[in-house]
Amino acid sequence: MKYMILVYASQRDYDAMVGKPAPGEPGWSGAEFAALGQFMEQFARDLAESGELVDTRGLTAPSQARRIRLANGAPVVTDGPYAEAEEVLAGYWIVECDSLDRAAGIASRLASVPGPEHVRARAYADVRPLAESRHELDG
Amino acid sequence: MCPEPGTRIEDLLRDVAPQVLGALARRYGHFDLAEDAVQEALLAAASQWPADRIPASPRGWLITVAARRLTDLLRSEEARQRREEAAARQVPAGDSLAAGAGAPPDADDTLVLLFLCCHPALSAASQVALTLRAVGGLTTAEIARAFLVPEATMTRRITRAKQAIADGGAEFTMPEPGERAVRVTAVLQVIYLIFTEGYASTSGPSLLRPDLCAEAIRLARMLRALLPGDAEITGLLALLLLTDARRPARTSPGGLPVPMAEQDRGKWDAARIAEGTALVTEALRRGPPGPYQVQAAIAALHDEAPTAQETDWPQILALYEVLMQASANPVVALNHAVAAAMVHGPRVGLDLLENVGADQRIAAGHRLHAVRANLLEMAGDRDAARHAYLRAAELTASPPHQRYLNARAARLADQAS
Repeated sequence: MKYMILVYASQRDYDAMVGKPAPGEPGWSGAEFAALGQFMEQFARDLAESGELVDTRGLTAPSQARRIRLANGAPVVTDGPYAEAEEVLAGYWIVECDSLDRAAGIASRLASVPGPEHVRARAYADVRPLAESRHELDG
Repeated sequence: MCPEPGTRIEDLLRDVAPQVLGALARRYGHFDLAEDAVQEALLAAASQWPADRIPASPRGWLITVAARRLTDLLRSEEARQRREEAAARQVPAGDSLAAGAGAPPDADDTLVLLFLCCHPALSAASQVALTLRAVGGLTTAEIARAFLVPEATMTRRITRAKQAIADGGAEFTMPEPGERAVRVTAVLQVIYLIFTEGYASTSGPSLLRPDLCAEAIRLARMLRALLPGDAEITGLLALLLLTDARRPARTSPGGLPVPMAEQDRGKWDAARIAEGTALVTEALRRGPPGPYQVQAAIAALHDEAPTAQETDWPQILALYEVLMQASANPVVALNHAVAAAMVHGPRVGLDLLENVGADQRIAAGHRLHAVRANLLEMAGDRDAARHAYLRAAELTASPPHQRYLNARAARLADQAS
């Protein structure tokens, strides 16, 4: 089975990470930022070596996003559609393993991700089984 | 060819791969099927040779196995296409193949192969993928990993590229002499693209990706060995070596970009600098230089300076002026403005940037704003510099670059208060 592990962040989180924290919030130190990058590389490398990694990507800041929706039947594009504090998808891993428990076990390793304590305290990851075909969604 | 003792099987296979494909395609045509057949022969060798031993003539072994496989492939096409039945019958039996396989490698085959992979009918992405597979001997899976696309996507890209060559009626023959220069330029561009893809990604999770910089340098060496008299090929090889030499110093241990002026020059690769400098010196002796030679000469001037302060900026500015006359490339114009600022002062550079910013392609990217910020800082205009750094940070999607630019902005804010 394939599972997707998803993590979330707001524009404010992205800004704090790249050295532009909101007033009153502590930012990320250079050491914390470097440690995050190294952790994520190692996490992906371990999954690749165990043969469980299918694909992984980080997503760029929500300010770079565009939203497309219909207005009177025609597609309309909006730049940067998210509010500053709104949490959006920030990255994902697709893993192939035997069970949801195993996938959750993999995701639990993310609990040791380095970063400022207040960011770690509110961070979470979701694990969701992927449908392999349309029929699985017909149920 | 007898393998050198201690040669890694993988390297050996990749060195002979284009010769094998070249020999096959020249003899039997059917470039697309020949390419598949060679890939299968390479896989067979990779799994069989370590267990047995490397054959006395690896090239002959591979040609024999690939030709047999090609016969099979052509026969299975028979049912669909009558005319290929005739071609399949022309493939001689094993014995005569082995005899032919012992003949010395024909260097022209590899060259024809390079021209075919960089055929003008193909998109740049297809040229790159096909060159890496057919000439570089990388597997589809490795190429897919290098470009971070699914293997199925890369398989389709390569299949379509081969189909486009077949549809266009391109044959496995040397282009006419009058066409050669244009085709060499296309090959140089593909090699350069492979290098820049590798260079841009070196701060990412690089351990999972094949080293495209090394691959581009290997291809440039191969091309230079085939056409040693072509000064632009020598110029490109020099440029790649002189650029790659700085790679160990261009990111901090934490993964942040380090601008050239702040790099630890002790980490630069002295052997690459020496080789690149010798090559560009040799190329420049041959007459009016092409753009790769000029860029290599600029890179050599940077690499040879013991400190950033000792950089020969007047000479670099003169070389950028040569490049500006050759092409109206906005990236060249940006670097020209920097060189002018280093020689004549930041205000001169800033004036030149006004014109560069008129180009929408460059105004939408972060580089123009980062350069402007740097020159404004040099000019002492801290507030404007800070805003330009912040604007540049907004325009790049790369977190390490954002961190670097935001830190520069923050430093100016601290100094102001």
